[in-house]
Amino acid sequence: MDTLFVANLLAASVRIAVPLVLGALGGLLSERAGIFAVGIEGMMLAGAFGAAVGTFIGGSVMVGLACAILGAAGIAAIVAVAVTRFRADQMVTGLAVGILSLGLTSFLIRGLFGGHAPVIRLDVLGAIAIPYLSDLPVLGSAVFRQPPLTCAAVAIVVLMHLFLHRTRAGLTLRASGENPEAVFAAGNDPVRVRQIAVIAGGAIAGLGGAVLVLQDVGTFTDGMTSGRGFLALAAVIVGRWTPFGALAACLVFGAATAIEVRLQGVDLPVSSYVIQMVPYALALLVLAGLGRGTRMPQAIGRPYNAG
Amino acid sequence: MTKNAITGSPAAGPRLARLSLALPASASFGSFGRAVLAVLLAFAVAAIPILMAGKNPLVAYAALIAGAFGSLDNIAFALNKSTPYILSAVGVALCFRAKIINIGSEGQIAVGGLAASYVALNAGNLPPFAAVALALCAGMLAGALWSGIAAAIRLTRGVHEVLSTLLLNFIGVLLVSAALNGSLGEPGAGFPQSPLFDESVGLPTLFPGYDLHAGLLIALAAAIVGQILLWRTRFGFRIRLLGGSQSAAAYAGVSFAGGVMGVMLLGGALAGLAGGIEVLGVHARLIEGFSQGFGFTAVAVALLAAAEPLAVIPAALFFGFLRAGALAMQRDVGMPSSLVDVIQGLSIVFVLCAMGLDNRHQRV
Repeated sequence: MDTLFVANLLAASVRIAVPLVLGALGGLLSERAGIFAVGIEGMMLAGAFGAAVGTFIGGSVMVGLACAILGAAGIAAIVAVAVTRFRADQMVTGLAVGILSLGLTSFLIRGLFGGHAPVIRLDVLGAIAIPYLSDLPVLGSAVFRQPPLTCAAVAIVVLMHLFLHRTRAGLTLRASGENPEAVFAAGNDPVRVRQIAVIAGGAIAGLGGAVLVLQDVGTFTDGMTSGRGFLALAAVIVGRWTPFGALAACLVFGAATAIEVRLQGVDLPVSSYVIQMVPYALALLVLAGLGRGTRMPQAIGRPYNAG
Repeated sequence: MTKNAITGSPAAGPRLARLSLALPASASFGSFGRAVLAVLLAFAVAAIPILMAGKNPLVAYAALIAGAFGSLDNIAFALNKSTPYILSAVGVALCFRAKIINIGSEGQIAVGGLAASYVALNAGNLPPFAAVALALCAGMLAGALWSGIAAAIRLTRGVHEVLSTLLLNFIGVLLVSAALNGSLGEPGAGFPQSPLFDESVGLPTLFPGYDLHAGLLIALAAAIVGQILLWRTRFGFRIRLLGGSQSAAAYAGVSFAGGVMGVMLLGGALAGLAGGIEVLGVHARLIEGFSQGFGFTAVAVALLAAAEPLAVIPAALFFGFLRAGALAMQRDVGMPSSLVDVIQGLSIVFVLCAMGLDNRHQRV
């Protein structure tokens, strides 16, 4: 257990946590407004697809990010309209757009580029050192030397906290998840608030998908989010619907995955597949451990009766 | 007293069952028409990505239909594909009736297939019929155990079954991989798969010369039994009551815990049976990833069938033929088979929207 090992483990935990954090923040926004965020997985996947295709064709990361946001927000818009205007079941709609995104991205990547193995290869974004802090021992290189989207993710955590708890619009959004009738009585349209929250949340989750492509892998593969959206959803619950809580939960899942990856290198009596189960089992255990204590937005899952 | 779904308390759950409850004979044409309309709409909208990919939708759909119905072999293949859909969707439909969203078919099928394979590989001295029956029972037990975990966590710890069954899917699929890369794997196969089962431990084929196995009959029987169970037994009445109104159910002395555990165990057992039938009837061995995507398809099928066990049969056949046709389409004209997922996802969204609207009209 030397310091280098610890620093590497920390760095890996942060790297793995970042897409989860963005996914969780997106889900959080939607759930605080009263809409279950089961579709996050699909939105992250659409974001990853947009980031890869946009950067590849547009030739710039900025185009890629714009496409990631647009793609994910597009999927989120389907959810927003279906669950508010048509009062579709929120959970199952979320699952449906997951399948839709999986099929659509896989279909389009083959349709656009032909062949069986899509040939998108992108350079992964490099790290930016935060002045002074990055010179600290151990923590410096592990935590304070990060690629741009990781910095953005941390900024969004802080901004979302301030937005939800310090602004009028944030109050309205939270009220839509607790008591939409009161929002209506106060002169706002809860349906609109919820639609905006779901679509904005989708855009943020799409950035999570973009992180996977632009900072981690440098390419798009079918179903590459592989359950991260659902882990992010678990993090929202474990983090009790608060941005910092979700961040902490994602870091725990990130650390679990980082340790799991490191354990695969070691000769252990158990199969690496058993170790791969750790993050999912951990999420299940933490959720079960939290039990009845959690207090979720009161009106979540309940369609608002527009007049 | 508004309570919420993730904490597992009454009220505010999904509104699927309310609609389904109001669906006896007189309304059944409405739900059938709705499903057909949703599917047609899905095909129409899916033409957009086909055009975006620079292909002709009519050519794609013609190849899909030819692939599904082109020959008796194709039809047999599609019927085999439909079999696990029927079995797992009957379970999901019964869960829907109690307002339980069990999306764990994937994991339940995976562990069911795993358990059945374990028995099939070690059933050396048993008479063939006993070996098959034992393997399928093992699959059912494993599937029920898997869904039982989710039910137990829901009932004791209040974790919503959507999340728990989902997380259990990942774990179940990984269990299969772990077993295949461990003691169940075929040495030197180069692919994670078990050795072939003994020929006597397989499902018989229905017609000589065609690969249509007897699992289809078991699935059809399960749908019929499910229908009778739902509409003609005390248990069925109880789960319909639970799905309709939990306060009414509580007033009538129907136990929430008993109902949830009952439908979940039943759903898990059916999915586990589907897993066992899949490995015994189609592959004759356990293969990594054999359960890919079943979980979501089962939800789609149950929804299209408006949670009516008998109606699951046509809905599952539709998805089975769609999947089989898509594979042929990919092989013959190079059109990616993931088109099916697009159509499937769109169909569910459209059905849900129609159901949501129905709900509003009923309420007014």
